Amino acid sequence: MVYEFRYLAPRTAAELAAVLDGHKEDGKLLAGGTDLIPGIRNGVMKPKVVIDLKKYSGADRLSYGADGLSIGPAVTINDILRCKEARERYPVLCDCAHELASHQIRNRATVAGNVVNASPCSDMAPALLCLGAKATIRSATGERVVPFSQFFAGVKKTVLAPGEFVSCIMVPAEAAGARGRYLKLKRIAGHDLGIVGVLMTRRDGELRFAVSSAAPTPVLVDSVTEKDSADEAVRKVLAAVSPISDVRGTKEYREHMIGVYARRLFTEVE
Amino acid sequence: MFDDMSPDDLEYVGKKAGRPDMLEKLTGEATFVSDMSLPGMLHVQLKKSPYARARIKGVDVSKAAAMPGVRAVVTGDELDYHIGLYIVDKYILAKGEVRHYGEAVAAVAAETIEQARAAVEAIEVDYEPLAPVLHHMDALKPDAPLVHPDLGTYSYIEAVFTPKPGTNIANHTKLRKGDVEKGFAESTYVVEREYSCPSVQHVPMETHVAIVQWGRGDKVSIWTSAQSPFTVRNLFCHAFGLPHINVRVQIPYVGGGFGGKAGIGVEPLCAVLSRKAGGKPVKFQASREEEFSLLPCRSALTYRIKTGVSAEGKILAQHMTMYWDSGAYADYAVNVTRASGYSASGPYEIPNAWIDAYTIYTNKPYGTAYRGFGHVEFHWAVERHMELVATAIGMDPLAFRLKNALRPGSVTLTGEKIVEHTGDVVKCIEEAARRVGYGQLTEAEKAREKQTGWKIGKGVAALQKAPAMPSYTATAVVLKMNEDGSVLVNLALTDYGQGTYASIRQIVAERLGFPIEKIKVAFENDTDRDPYDWQTVASKGLLLSGNAAILAAEDLLKNAYAVAAEVLHANPRDLAHDGTRVFVRHRADQGVSFASMAVGFALPNGSGVGGPLIGVGRYIAQGLSNLNKETGEGNPALDWTFGAHGMVVEVNEETGEYRVLKIASIYDVGRAINPDIVRGQAIGGMMQGLGTAICEGYIYDQQGRLLNPSFTDNKIPTAKDLPLEVECAVVETPQVDGPYGARGVGEHSMISVAAALGNAIQKATGAEITHMPMRFEDVWRAIRDKEPIDNWITKSPIGSCRSVPEARPRS
Repeated sequence: MVYEFRYLAPRTAAELAAVLDGHKEDGKLLAGGTDLIPGIRNGVMKPKVVIDLKKYSGADRLSYGADGLSIGPAVTINDILRCKEARERYPVLCDCAHELASHQIRNRATVAGNVVNASPCSDMAPALLCLGAKATIRSATGERVVPFSQFFAGVKKTVLAPGEFVSCIMVPAEAAGARGRYLKLKRIAGHDLGIVGVLMTRRDGELRFAVSSAAPTPVLVDSVTEKDSADEAVRKVLAAVSPISDVRGTKEYREHMIGVYARRLFTEVE
Repeated sequence: MFDDMSPDDLEYVGKKAGRPDMLEKLTGEATFVSDMSLPGMLHVQLKKSPYARARIKGVDVSKAAAMPGVRAVVTGDELDYHIGLYIVDKYILAKGEVRHYGEAVAAVAAETIEQARAAVEAIEVDYEPLAPVLHHMDALKPDAPLVHPDLGTYSYIEAVFTPKPGTNIANHTKLRKGDVEKGFAESTYVVEREYSCPSVQHVPMETHVAIVQWGRGDKVSIWTSAQSPFTVRNLFCHAFGLPHINVRVQIPYVGGGFGGKAGIGVEPLCAVLSRKAGGKPVKFQASREEEFSLLPCRSALTYRIKTGVSAEGKILAQHMTMYWDSGAYADYAVNVTRASGYSASGPYEIPNAWIDAYTIYTNKPYGTAYRGFGHVEFHWAVERHMELVATAIGMDPLAFRLKNALRPGSVTLTGEKIVEHTGDVVKCIEEAARRVGYGQLTEAEKAREKQTGWKIGKGVAALQKAPAMPSYTATAVVLKMNEDGSVLVNLALTDYGQGTYASIRQIVAERLGFPIEKIKVAFENDTDRDPYDWQTVASKGLLLSGNAAILAAEDLLKNAYAVAAEVLHANPRDLAHDGTRVFVRHRADQGVSFASMAVGFALPNGSGVGGPLIGVGRYIAQGLSNLNKETGEGNPALDWTFGAHGMVVEVNEETGEYRVLKIASIYDVGRAINPDIVRGQAIGGMMQGLGTAICEGYIYDQQGRLLNPSFTDNKIPTAKDLPLEVECAVVETPQVDGPYGARGVGEHSMISVAAALGNAIQKATGAEITHMPMRFEDVWRAIRDKEPIDNWITKSPIGSCRSVPEARPRS
């Protein structure tokens, strides 16, 4: 499709908020572009104005402090994988990051973009859900903080209102050291969207599951306890999801695999 | 030719030799049509059908034609050219009716690609949607809509094909051998099964692309990413009624073809736009999505096989029915049907055989040639069937294969007798089995099973293929000596990645006795400069062009000797040569250099002798015949290349996931002219075969729209999908009429990979899979249900075609 649009690249976060405020209906944010550009090419997205958020100072800030790991909206998946603090303190974040697409795409794709796009098969969402991460949402009128457990609103929908953008993702310090594993079923060994994906984390006796490609949004399951039997754990996880049949797999197989993965993680993750 | 030469007597043939295109391709220097741009060139975009079948009530291009930069807009209505290889059934742009989703209805050429896109969006098409016929088995029903109601009026090659007007059958190939009824009556076991596979895409790295300039005086220049310059020219001239001298086709480097660029492609479309735009050059490059639904694919197949077996495990009779999904146009699918029909049993002797092979029109993107030309698809069925028959009668599948394999003295389906030098499939099967340790697990494998919990299984599958080509297929090679005594090789066989030019270079160097550095094979092909070659298809290139290269080298030497004889006052019989000069054998100090003769020898007094040295070699397939249309009898095979794969796979029974641990592929190539090229073909084809086996395949919705027209959901294997261990080896039973004994292997490496995988998975878990691709889900389902299953994809667009296992011991 031919698509002409205005390209704006604000230099500060405040300017970005103001520009976005002026283009609530016709503007679209550009981070890595790995969803936006194919969307424009396929005619699915038709923004009149494309607002690049990578150019404002601080957009690519990735730092670890007393509150935890702070991830700016331009931080790429490979930035996370290269970050020592992320690798050492939040290994499951890196597990999930590593499962996302291919190395080339990880050079472009951002953590924030992956969750703002709100695809059910987001690979970063499970990690952010299990680690109790929160999004700082900014607009021309102010800021609010939303935990990722309340961030997704439907297929490709989030709680972001027009004019708002994620200015920071904070992975809390208390989640550091959470052990876990992300199991993702793919059609080939190379890069692929997941048929299903299940992450489990265990920290201080607290268990959390997050499931991708199994419901309209990525799903967090925090009702499983260490006292549960494996069967009960699987039952609780399956009760929280509602997979569909599509070209990647049937509902029946997805449910089976979520069960297999949940059981495996429950019994194997120390 | 020279098939009996010992490797010790060969300098280049059978030895390591680099690819002449390596540096250019590795550095990005090689120029492809995709890279090319001509002054004033226009760009094309297409208006495509959103329906699988619809009547075109009207196309309004008035807005588009008036848009900035637009130089030509064309619709089907104004064009009256039918094109087609074997059955002339296709318009350049849909006319009256669209026959598949994604079919081009109108085309725009504009100064920029953006302008062309904008203009296409402004074209308005008024459709009356019609009920499509989507599944090829549905298309056979008496009340099925006809994809081509005018089939009876189309011209076709009558000696070879049999369309059935008034039905959706584009071709019916028959083969009858022996007495099938009697064979079944004498059988102890009869097993009948049905197998299937979907359409898949070739996915060449370079999508289809052409630049065409319709110049003054109807002189047409074509630059195209294609496999066969002369066939492009010939079909183009037929379609437009132009004399051949008016049309020039040039093919620079090509980024892969795999059969999808055989025949003719997007060239006529560019041509009509260029003509309408007053002769400006016009370029069209297909997008990846257009590769999937505008351009042709590999046909889907449903294959039903009924086999009668003696108590000892000898096949006595086989009844085979192939249903090929041609899609909307016959293109190559009719010939895939024919070539598969006469090879339908695989490399096994069937004393009594009955084959019906149908090519069936449906409202889907059309099928064409694809590496293996039907053999990947039907070997999937045959080699799964051999496994299932063996299992059903309680015999080891390997022993069952060996018992029925073709051997010297066997008679093929068409009545050809296998002889000692035909090739040795038994050796291939045995070697493949040996290399994977068929029949048992090693201690290490047992330990791995214990550690992972995944079950390991081993399978084998054999294969055969002969070139599918006209019985009189011919080629020529021309050698031209340069001023310094080096030699330029011209041929129109195209090297689009397979590496044949490396082998041709070795053959020329060998026969001339020249250092290989002195031989150049010119990469860009040009119908105005190169000698004729039919097509670069069918794994026939090395055999035919290799022989022509030998003959051209001999002709060049003969011509050089004639000049040398005159210069040296010697009888040509007394002359010999080395890499630089011709000399008198009994007085070796008396000689004359090739360089001094290359463009004509000058005597000391200045007068000239000879002239530019040129060698011409021509070769035509010999002894082949059309097949009898009722019985299939005849001689279709230039050569049979046999092969086999051994496969080791581990399967997770709980999830259906599997990993290929090892594959060993063996081919009887006669003689490996260039072992590295053979290895490259073996590994590349094996990976493509794994793609077909594991994940590839078109998925349609109920309206015939392709649901996976890109790499998002039409996955192909990546480097990470390589098996852990890959072995390839050759058996060398020289082909008497092959160059230095060689035969082709370009397609064979892809054949039977899927079946070997299916057989290994079955060995590991008992899963009986009869549909490919074998997705993890299918394997899981087959293990869980403990019965043959169909791939869930077959439920869309219509219900499944279940297998009916029937093993009946007779009293």
